[in-house]
Amino acid sequence: MNENFHTVLLKRVEQHANPGLEAYRADGGYTGLRVALQLSPADVIEKVKQSGLRGRGGAGFPTGMKWSFLPKDHPGPIYLAVNADESEPGTFNNRVLMEKDPHQLLEGIAIACRAIGAKTAYIYLRYEYGRSYRTLQRAIDECYAAGILGPRVLDTEQSLDIRLHRGAGAYICGEETGLIESLEGKRAWPRIKPPFPAVEGLFRKPTIVNNVETIACVTHIFARGPEWFRSMGVAPDPSNPRDLGSYGPKLYGVSGHVERQGLFELPLGVTSRELIDRCGGIWKGRNVKAVIPGGLSTGFLTADEMDVPLDFSGPVKAGCLGLGTAGLIVIDDQTNIVDVLFNSSRFYAHESCGQCTPCREGTRWMEKILERFRNGEGTERDIDLLIEVSETMGIIPGTTICGLADGAAWPVKSALKKFRGDFVEYVRSGRRAPASRLALAH
Amino acid sequence: MTTQVPSTATLNGQEVALPEGESLNAIQLALRAGVEIPHYCWHPALSVVASCRMCLVEAGQIGQGGVLAMQPKLVPACQTPVKPGTVIVTNSEKVKAAQNQVLEFLLLNHPLDCPVCDQAGECKLQDFSFRYGRGYSRLKEPKVQKPDKDYIGDQITLFTDRCVMCTRCVRFTREISGTGELQVIQRGSHAEIDIFPGEPCDNKLAGNVVDICPVGALCSKDFLYKQRVWWLESKESVCPNCSTGCSIHVDQNENVVYRLKPRHNPQSQGHFMCDEGRFGFKYQGSPNRLKHPLVRGENGSQAPAIWDHALRSVRNGLQQIATSRPASLLGILSPWMTVEEAYLLASYLKSLSPEIRLALGPLRVEGEDDRYPKDVHGRAVEPTKFTIRAEKAPNVRGVEAVLRHFEGGVIPAEQLLPAVGTGEIEAVYFAGGDPDFADDADFAATLATAKFLIVQDILASPVSEAADYVLPGGTFMEKDGTFINHAGLAQAIRRAVRGPEEARPDGRILWELSGRTGLFHAANLRKEIAANVPELAALAVGDLGAFGVRTSIQLEGADDDRRSAAEVAAGVS
Amino acid sequence: MTVLTDELRQRIVAEFPKYPTKRAVTLPALHLVHESLRAVSPAAMAEIAQLLELHPAEVADTMSFYGFFRDDSNPLGRRRVWVCRSLSCMLRGGEDLLVELSERLHCRPGSTSADGRCSLEFAECLGGCDGAPCVLIDDELYLNASADEIVRLVEGAPAAEGSLS
Repeated sequence: MNENFHTVLLKRVEQHANPGLEAYRADGGYTGLRVALQLSPADVIEKVKQSGLRGRGGAGFPTGMKWSFLPKDHPGPIYLAVNADESEPGTFNNRVLMEKDPHQLLEGIAIACRAIGAKTAYIYLRYEYGRSYRTLQRAIDECYAAGILGPRVLDTEQSLDIRLHRGAGAYICGEETGLIESLEGKRAWPRIKPPFPAVEGLFRKPTIVNNVETIACVTHIFARGPEWFRSMGVAPDPSNPRDLGSYGPKLYGVSGHVERQGLFELPLGVTSRELIDRCGGIWKGRNVKAVIPGGLSTGFLTADEMDVPLDFSGPVKAGCLGLGTAGLIVIDDQTNIVDVLFNSSRFYAHESCGQCTPCREGTRWMEKILERFRNGEGTERDIDLLIEVSETMGIIPGTTICGLADGAAWPVKSALKKFRGDFVEYVRSGRRAPASRLALAH
Repeated sequence: MTTQVPSTATLNGQEVALPEGESLNAIQLALRAGVEIPHYCWHPALSVVASCRMCLVEAGQIGQGGVLAMQPKLVPACQTPVKPGTVIVTNSEKVKAAQNQVLEFLLLNHPLDCPVCDQAGECKLQDFSFRYGRGYSRLKEPKVQKPDKDYIGDQITLFTDRCVMCTRCVRFTREISGTGELQVIQRGSHAEIDIFPGEPCDNKLAGNVVDICPVGALCSKDFLYKQRVWWLESKESVCPNCSTGCSIHVDQNENVVYRLKPRHNPQSQGHFMCDEGRFGFKYQGSPNRLKHPLVRGENGSQAPAIWDHALRSVRNGLQQIATSRPASLLGILSPWMTVEEAYLLASYLKSLSPEIRLALGPLRVEGEDDRYPKDVHGRAVEPTKFTIRAEKAPNVRGVEAVLRHFEGGVIPAEQLLPAVGTGEIEAVYFAGGDPDFADDADFAATLATAKFLIVQDILASPVSEAADYVLPGGTFMEKDGTFINHAGLAQAIRRAVRGPEEARPDGRILWELSGRTGLFHAANLRKEIAANVPELAALAVGDLGAFGVRTSIQLEGADDDRRSAAEVAAGVS
Repeated sequence: MTVLTDELRQRIVAEFPKYPTKRAVTLPALHLVHESLRAVSPAAMAEIAQLLELHPAEVADTMSFYGFFRDDSNPLGRRRVWVCRSLSCMLRGGEDLLVELSERLHCRPGSTSADGRCSLEFAECLGGCDGAPCVLIDDELYLNASADEIVRLVEGAPAAEGSLS
């Protein structure tokens, strides 16, 4: 499948192309920006709408629609905040894009800023991405020197500054209002909505927050046209009027128990099976037990669900939270899901911002219950308790401000629905996790 | 068919009228309809954070065409503005389940040390658990324990693991005082309230963080372990420490006052009070209190007397002077007197002779009005949310109004003091009440030289020691009456405790001195005052209610007036 | 007596034009100070607060939220080694790697070795899942990391000045 597909986002990465400006331009770079600069901002937004681009950061919100939520005729400033705080376990595509082809991102930023009328864009970059920081800073410097950034973008009336802002190790900064608070110099406690960032965001001004991969897609929509983008992917389900379709290329990261972990660009809708095949199959000749389709929070696909299309609606139909970041984590059949879930719960307890009661208390409680299983002290009643706790957390029941609690609860709900046997096995066998690992539990 | 959006909102199936010109959230709407929506983090004077998730309700909106669309998820009532056609449900199974679960979460790591907790009896964790919670916890693991912090401030201690992280206290120091001492440290379940090392929360409004703490986390060191709150009896009153006139509660048990707490009054100060007022009542139990009427005997020293004897002698002395040399008699009316007391004394003295002069007693003015919030440099920023006024007296406006009526103007006592020194004024009736007036040593020393001196006051001072007659009065907590604040708002103070030994409420002293029959009764006397003093006509209601009554009193500066109006509109001061 | 050198102050002030508020410079300032002094002491926080026209408690509040900064009770060694313990890395031996490095580098996660050469940390997902297990040394990511490789890289670093050994 997808034999005829040629990579776009990863094209220069795969060619080990020079990340510098000159090489990027030689490969046709910044032609998309020229196209966009000749269009009115409204037409730029319109083209993005036509492309069907949906946000790649996890929620899949239509990008053009998000941009059009900005207040009309706002005197400014308006900001673009690029979410480069990639922290969802199993997700690394932003890092590759930034380290290996920084101008692809910068060009998309310039186009997006043209569309929304922003004169300043901040790239909120997680601190751990030091190499991305240095590569991007070099690329930004090149752009200033070449007149791509600064008071006159490519000799037009448009001005643009891009600022790199480094985070400091907090997963919640990937939540768009947590990111905004963090950028403002505060603890990254997500804001209540409304107002949404498009109305009142960074520094209380209208702000668009987009993921790195989303912005990179924008670059190619203008270099190749929205029709090109729309020519691949999955059309909407005609029986579901709310399905907006899943168009364009997508980066799929695959990690965990495969022979060769890696990053793949394919049209939306590829299956776990195909991706695992491209990774050389499950490691050590074993079989797959489960796949987490889109970063840790999305829940599990079972071995029977390997043909679920990984587009914006496929994983949901299979009981997952969504496509998420399309960072697949593959789990082999020698692994007990309780151990996976303990790891997941520990992560969310560590990363909960602590603002909302259910998340602050619930994530830690779930971790404690799972630790009990791993200590050989879990009971079958604890399984029901775990389900109950997980069901009372998150913006889906309405008990929290942001989605972190859903992300923490979903793997638990999903695992207990699909792999309850693993819990029972843990309880009945009196099995305990190895001691040396327990010592590092917190 | 046109619009079918109703003009009302609906709460649990009942229609609730919406007040005009006021925007309410669902908590406030419910409160007006007599329905409690439990909440921790929301406070009407602070920004909305919607983080405790205790106030989750079901909400919907009736739109055009009369169609009701309910939101699929629960929403925080604090963050839900109520409009015409808004539908709020607080009693469904879904809401109850959420309340129950949030409470279990909140109590997971709570120490449940209610038996030794100061907050017990007025704790929102107790109350809401009782009404909405479950009776047991399903946590099997040890609770997280966090060290207590005794160093939050001179007056404030933190029982860290009782905290529910509502952040009201942090928001108070950032939004109301602006002093920013409090912070959240760490994140997630490790988050705690703290101060920056070496910078305690000692601002002049600091005590409020204890009041707004909905649980027993922040406690007042002054009150700590002194009294179980359920033994306390509370009286509505007014703080006398400055002319802001904060509405307060006076909490006592068995005639001992344990604490003052601010009482919300949109017409006076809003929700809070300052620490000068909060902790400034201790003189009430001072050993220095005047406890007996004193009469200077022929041997030249003061001796205790019974009230009847003392009052008769005072009356005789005053009548003698009023007959012979009325212009040499001066009545000094402290701005700490109630309106009723000032009226009784002024009308009595003027009834003896219109030539008797009346003056306004010493008014301490300390610096300038102290406005909050402050910025990081300590400068006040607009809009003002709280003001500690420079005028350190509760009833300047009220006593001035009485003086204008009886004397035709307000003469500060300091102006007439030289006449005491020269002997032009021979006799002085000094009615005090300010526990700190004697700080002005010159004033006290000159006053003490009067040939015939009657002192009605609460604390022994050089002036009382020089007096021929000492009439021990009562503090604001020991009497009924009216204080009129800087903006002309008349509020009632109410007797919460008895004074020591023979000390009497000043109203009763003056009532009997002036030979009136029956008993002093503030509400009745207000009606008399209203009928006689046009500026105080608003007192005709007698009962001033919890929030007080605005008088048409003459205010000094128009600026002050305007600001007051703006503050009242904002519901703060 | 100030903690921040003139040079550090100048570098912090140089960040101001990039943002419409001084408060937004909190994280950049903390990074600059942390990198230079290997910790941010309360005195340094207070000086940052003064530069940014904030209350010290606001700087401390922000700083403590992020797992990244250490205060002077626990300063960093010459190198900071983060071992990812999140799921992809765990599935490929990340936790065992952390245990092994803990023993071989003579420090527990969250502490600094006695010779001041290195500080060890556990990390939540470092975004290096294509090379799980991964390790971050300072801000350089090492994919498919082995204990031998990491120990070699760390031991190549000189011991910190004024260290215990």
